[in-house]
Amino acid sequence: MGTHPESSADKLRVLLAPTLLIAVLGLPVPIEGQSADAGQTAVALKQLSVEELMNIEVTSVSMEPEKLLDAASAIQVVTNDEIVRSGSTSIPEALRLADNLEVAQQNSHDWAISARGFNANLANKLLVLIDGRAVYSPLYGGVEWNVQDYPMVDIQQIEVISGPGGTLWGANAVNGVINITTKAAKDTQGLYVETGVGNELENFSTIRFGGTVAPGICYRVYGEYTDRGGEVLADGSSVSDSTRMGRMGFRIDSDSDPATKLTLQGDLYSGLENLGTLGNTGLNGGNVLGRLTHTISSGVEISAQTYFDRTHISQPFAASPPAPPYFTGFPAAPLTDNLDTYDMDVQLHADLSERNKLVCGLEYRFTQEYDRDLSVVRFVPESLDQNLYSGFVQDDVKLSKDVSLTLGTKIEHNDYTGIEAEPSIRLRWNPAAGQMLWGAVSRAVRTPSRYDRDLEVVSGLVNAPSPYKFPTDFLDGSSSFESEDVICYELGYRTEPVAGLTGSVAIFYNVYSNLRSTTATTPTTYYPYPYPVYFQNNLYGETHGLEVSTTYQVLDWWRMHVGYDLLAETIRIEEGQTDATAATNETADPRNQAFLRSSMDLRPNLHFDLDLRWIGSLSIGNGPTGGPATGEVPSYTELNARLAWEINSKIELSVVGENLLHDHHPEYGFPGAGREEISRSIYGKVAWRY
Amino acid sequence: MHAFTNRSSKLSRCKRLLLIVLVSACAGLKAAESVSTTPEYRVKAVFLFNFTQFVEWPARAFSEPDSPIIIGILGEDPFGDFIDQVVQGERVNSRPVRVRRISGTEGIAACNILFVSKSESGNIRKTLAEVRGRPILTVSDASEFTRDGGIIRFFDDDHRVRLVINNEAAISDGLKISSKLLRPSRITTASED
Repeated sequence: MGTHPESSADKLRVLLAPTLLIAVLGLPVPIEGQSADAGQTAVALKQLSVEELMNIEVTSVSMEPEKLLDAASAIQVVTNDEIVRSGSTSIPEALRLADNLEVAQQNSHDWAISARGFNANLANKLLVLIDGRAVYSPLYGGVEWNVQDYPMVDIQQIEVISGPGGTLWGANAVNGVINITTKAAKDTQGLYVETGVGNELENFSTIRFGGTVAPGICYRVYGEYTDRGGEVLADGSSVSDSTRMGRMGFRIDSDSDPATKLTLQGDLYSGLENLGTLGNTGLNGGNVLGRLTHTISSGVEISAQTYFDRTHISQPFAASPPAPPYFTGFPAAPLTDNLDTYDMDVQLHADLSERNKLVCGLEYRFTQEYDRDLSVVRFVPESLDQNLYSGFVQDDVKLSKDVSLTLGTKIEHNDYTGIEAEPSIRLRWNPAAGQMLWGAVSRAVRTPSRYDRDLEVVSGLVNAPSPYKFPTDFLDGSSSFESEDVICYELGYRTEPVAGLTGSVAIFYNVYSNLRSTTATTPTTYYPYPYPVYFQNNLYGETHGLEVSTTYQVLDWWRMHVGYDLLAETIRIEEGQTDATAATNETADPRNQAFLRSSMDLRPNLHFDLDLRWIGSLSIGNGPTGGPATGEVPSYTELNARLAWEINSKIELSVVGENLLHDHHPEYGFPGAGREEISRSIYGKVAWRY
Repeated sequence: MHAFTNRSSKLSRCKRLLLIVLVSACAGLKAAESVSTTPEYRVKAVFLFNFTQFVEWPARAFSEPDSPIIIGILGEDPFGDFIDQVVQGERVNSRPVRVRRISGTEGIAACNILFVSKSESGNIRKTLAEVRGRPILTVSDASEFTRDGGIIRFFDDDHRVRLVINNEAAISDGLKISSKLLRPSRITTASED
């Protein structure tokens, strides 16, 4: 949809006026029993019968129901309530609610997301799991954010840990881990339908039905469809990058035998991303996962999980016409990537004693990736099978009443670099009730992706006049590319000084070595070219930073949240080595980010949420000319707002505005005529549950 | 005798003052506790309150028709002020409900419901011996509580709070537990649990 600045501003005014009026006139009234922990209030619990009280699940299904205040890591949890109240319509949007992430939207469907820096193109230092299924791509080590989605209403929570998570989760959890958990089937019973329309999010619908097969065996099925309009260029002209995506899935949980829980779930999706005259990028995939958790005895639990995941991308590439006699040209052809992942994993949790808790596990993953030879971009070999074996052990010992020590390591073997170890040591101290100090030292690695190892970008140049030679490739992966690694030193403090006020601060100092560099070929008299440029591990550096997050339940009906991140990165070239991009290509990060959110219940059934974010400017490499040139993405301030009215217990109406302060603004990308900007988006939604 | 009473009341005034100072000093931390009362103990706190409605005490348990029903918490308090929120403003058969934190055996006799915290699990037999014969509903989540003669024990059943009730012990202490509470619970006797 083309956006004419005047008209969209007018449209906005019309839409916003009643919203603001309601916000001003609606005299907030305290809501009985509403608190940060809705559903668990005294008033709510007292209304339950004895039988109902006996049916409330009071400890987490996980063996270690860790309270946030006890977690010795920079963890932030985004709850379902926060996701729904933010008006987020996709997982990347919901991730903006985690202060310890950098989230930048590139266009209608692509996002750059990272923690603690290195949010370059093809960012590769963040591990993402959805219900225990790893979704990062071994093709380049990043996440295809455009295909990761789920009905927001059925997401239980998003847990974001900034800092290394290699000890538990393995390679690629270098700067952070995101764990997305969907709700158990028994918590999504009944029919739920939502549908909406908007200017950017042109239309979307979700339908979900949950039922019970037999006592203790519940299921849900869902389907959703989303149609997003294209974004715009700096001059406001529209870009053909609209996206249509359909998705369906199911989940079955059985806990009829309390000692043995079983989950079976799966999803299928199919989508098209418009590429203008070139046609569409096709995105298809699906997964199926089974998990069994068995309590052997009090304090000893074993769980086994297995999944299969398929990701298929087919992206058309334009032909390059030949220019005889030196350039062969390339035919139009789709870039095809097909990835099949088979994974199995066994974990044992055992409370060895009141003070000593052990968790250990074994995992095997087999990936089969096929990347079709496109003449210009090749992965050699075209088809690659890889095996990943790993094991981990972690022990948590209570040294005294207030001090606990967690020690552990993961050891894994991958086909590219062999054995990798990712140990960590964590100490936490509770000096007083409601306070916790923690410190950690950990190592994590990013193992090579196919991009680092197997890439060939072919030149198509031939028939060089003798005695000269032309480069055959412009850019190559390298078989000597090794793992990147980090040693991270962290300190953190969490506190709950008064009722309703929680705060956390984390500081970190990371030392990276073997970071990816691009080494140029040395030109000679008869070969005056720096090509091919190829990947090596010749960069190293340090980052340090600060993450602050505070939530305050100001009044029963009003919650405030403030967050701030500081990040400083210093990346250098190893002495005696070179980097074609002058160490600018691995980072693209704002130095400062700040967040301010307000969540109000103006009436028990009228919710008003505001989300203001300020993102500092960032310097980005990888421009159209390559080399060390960097450009800037300017700093920006943006505001999201949502007003929702529950007409009754079945129907809710909401209107959501995203990026309200500007007609459009850039969040990412090298400056230039082709950089897309993100438009103001407004949508209305009806949700119906029965 | 007179002098003694006087001294004792001074002492208790002194104690009370100290208590106020301590309470205000800990106000912040106490408030924090209410937020961090675990879901488990939130549910258990509501159970304790519900017991006031499902248990019939003999007349001798109360001095006046409107004297309060007292829930005593013996040992470390896992409920924080959540339980105070639960009972606040509640009346059961025109009796208000009060929560008292107690330590040692002093004050036990005044309770109608006595929750014995995990921190007291070493002294359960001693505590129960103190209570025996009095119309006090004893409750705990200590694992051998009902076997040792306690009346209600909370236990974890698949992450849910369930009850074991030693109805014989209740009857012998003069308490009548409603079938509404007995039906969904596990019934035991001291010998078999």
